[in-house]
Amino acid sequence: MGDKPIWEQIGSSFVQHYYQLFDTDRTQLGSIYIDASCLTWEGQQFQGKAAIVEKLSSLPFTKIAHSITAQDHQPTPDSCILSMVVGQLKADEDQVLGFQKTFLLKHYSNVRVRANKVFRLAPHIL
Amino acid sequence: MADTPMWEQIGTGFVQHYYQQFDTDRVKLADLYTDTSCLTWEGVGFQGKNAIMGKLTSLPFQTIQHSITAQDHHPTPDSCVMTMVMGQLKADQDQVMGFQQVFLLKNIDNKWVCTNDMFRLSLHNFGA
Repeated sequence: MGDKPIWEQIGSSFVQHYYQLFDTDRTQLGSIYIDASCLTWEGQQFQGKAAIVEKLSSLPFTKIAHSITAQDHQPTPDSCILSMVVGQLKADEDQVLGFQKTFLLKHYSNVRVRANKVFRLAPHIL
Repeated sequence: MADTPMWEQIGTGFVQHYYQQFDTDRVKLADLYTDTSCLTWEGVGFQGKNAIMGKLTSLPFQTIQHSITAQDHHPTPDSCVMTMVMGQLKADQDQVMGFQQVFLLKNIDNKWVCTNDMFRLSLHNFGA
């Protein structure tokens, strides 16, 4: 792991932590958002930690499993980390769906939080 | 358009311009990048305008067409615009494929440029 750039290390471990939390107990995701965070979920916008956690906690499935196909991480000019994740998910007994998600991570007083998050399901390609 | 937030106007305008350029004459995309821009193309990183343009102009197809299915735009804490695009593309006579792309746009000297760009085809390991 010594040769991996710092932004890849941070991005990768964030992604691992995020999906582990999401799949086991997503009410705990609150710790990674702040009041200035934005979420766009399937085209709908939510602003601030409370609104975001409420949206995520109220998603209509009992169980969820994410599988990451690929992830890319880049440092931004303002010392944030931009991460793009492509994967598949399965909610309850529904069919497997593809998804993509983008995170922007910013360092605030020794805690890395997610400032922006955009999520979309991949449409079927006929 | 008056009710559309500024970041959506900027993001939407950029996306339209980017794919139009890409599909007609991608050499002209050089204007959108700087010497510190980063591109990750299918998992491979390229740093700076020259390296990025080297990659984009050497992609192995004659004709390319992008079709945007969805796009989302966010303002960032540092006054940038973060844009996520999902769509489909067709290169030459190949089959249509899904793709996703993320851009981070920054206003430098009164011009919106792309500082970060990540592209992936929507390919998964089905089954297993």
